[in-house]
Formats: sequence, C-alpha cells, structure tokens
Amino acid sequence: MNDFDKESRGGGGGRGGAKGAAKGKDDKGARRGGFFRRRRVCKFCVEKIDYVSYKDVKVLTPFIPERGKIQPRRISGTCAKHQRALQTAIKRARTLALIPYVTD
Amino acid sequence: MSIHRQYELVYIAMPDSTEEQLAELHQQVATVVDRFGGTIERTEPWGRRRLAYEINRQREGVYVLNILNGPAAMTAELDRRMRVLDIVMRHLVIRVDEVLEKETRTQTRRKAATVARRLRRGLPAEPTEQELSRRKAEADDADGGGMDGFGEGDR
Repeated sequence: MNDFDKESRGGGGGRGGAKGAAKGKDDKGARRGGFFRRRRVCKFCVEKIDYVSYKDVKVLTPFIPERGKIQPRRISGTCAKHQRALQTAIKRARTLALIPYVTD
Repeated sequence: MSIHRQYELVYIAMPDSTEEQLAELHQQVATVVDRFGGTIERTEPWGRRRLAYEINRQREGVYVLNILNGPAAMTAELDRRMRVLDIVMRHLVIRVDEVLEKETRTQTRRKAATVARRLRRGLPAEPTEQELSRRKAEADDADGGGMDGFGEGDR
C-alpha cells in the first residue's frame, strides 16, 4: 500500500493499465483521508555523503529489505548517482559477508 | 617506476586461527608490499565478526583491513596469494585513491560555495552560535527523517 502511494506521487505512472487504475483509487483515498505523503528525496544528498563505503553497514542496511535485495530507486527515492554508488557498496559488502545475499 | 596508487585490502581469516598465524599472515602481506616497493599506510583489525552467511562452514571470521600504497602489480600478487592461502576465507582488494580524492574535492567545493553564498548575503563566513542552536532545534522538531548513524562510522 505504502509503496503504491510513493509511486503515484513520484510521477512514475505510465507503467501499465493496472497500476494506473490503482493510482486513481489511491488519489481519492488520499483526498478523503487526507494522509500525508512524504516527498521522496535522496538521503545521501540530504546528508551530503559523497562516498558510500561498503564498510558502513549501518548506512547500507536501510536500503536492504528483508529479502536481502537492493531496494529500487523508485521506492527509496535515492538519486541515480547515489543509487549507483550504493549498488557497488552493497555488492562489495556482500562478498565480505557483511550483508547477506539472500535471507528468507 | 610504476605509478603508485592507494588500495584497500580486506581479508577474512578463519575464526580458529591463532595470534601467530594472523601475525604471519600480516607479515606475508607486508613482504609482498615491500617487494613491490609499496607501503602499508594503516592496518585496522576489525576483530572477530559474525558473517552474514556461512563461508567454509564457518559462522564467524577475523576481519583485517589494510590500507596500502603501491603499484597495480602488487594488488595482482596480493590477490593471487590470498586465493592460495587456506587461512583466508575471503578477501577484497579495491582502489580507493580516486574516489577519496573526489570526495574531498566535492566537499571542499561545497564548503567554499557555502561561504561564498553567506558572504554575498552579508553574513559572516561561519554560522554564528545563534544560528546553530536554531538549526538544531529545527532538526529536533522534524520527524527524524534522517537516518540514524548516517555519516558516522569508519570509512
């Protein structure tokens, strides 16, 4: 549910009819309920982090959901530049067994 | 002479290895680095850590980080050595000089831009005490959207 919210706001539309329908419904719900939708901003840009190190597990873990996959940009809101850096950092951390490849 | 660059070498030794074995391993690294005319800038033993997944049926490992200066041929040799040694479960060699330089460059540029902006607005170059305390209060008011432990920790 939450992901849908973020997505529709992010202007990520045009991704197929099914999602478009869900978006319409969501919007209505938002108006009625009036719940707050947070603007997605890149956390690394906000914190002014220029180098994402594979050693800072604490920084990386928020971008790894339970399954152990790398969270997509469309959900986390990370900018392209930092997502790339994050990706290499996560992959390096994985080879060093600091972060799991898969969890279930 | 070949170009020297900065590299990071992290290796994970078997958890049942003794102090002497670890010292010997470190000595081996030092010899290789020496042979190629490089230097060990820093060695950071992270100590015994839990692995995120099993490697060689082990759940723990002894992590050691080395920051080295040397030619590219040195890393190739280190890589080969690490692969051969039984005591090393996993290792990683990466070049760091470029990214670190880039980081400091952008940070200094950003700092300079901030100072310039402040001066243009007729403010002192550095934030005053008053401003800092106000900014802190605002940050406390916010919903804590920032991430815990962000920007801290070792590099």
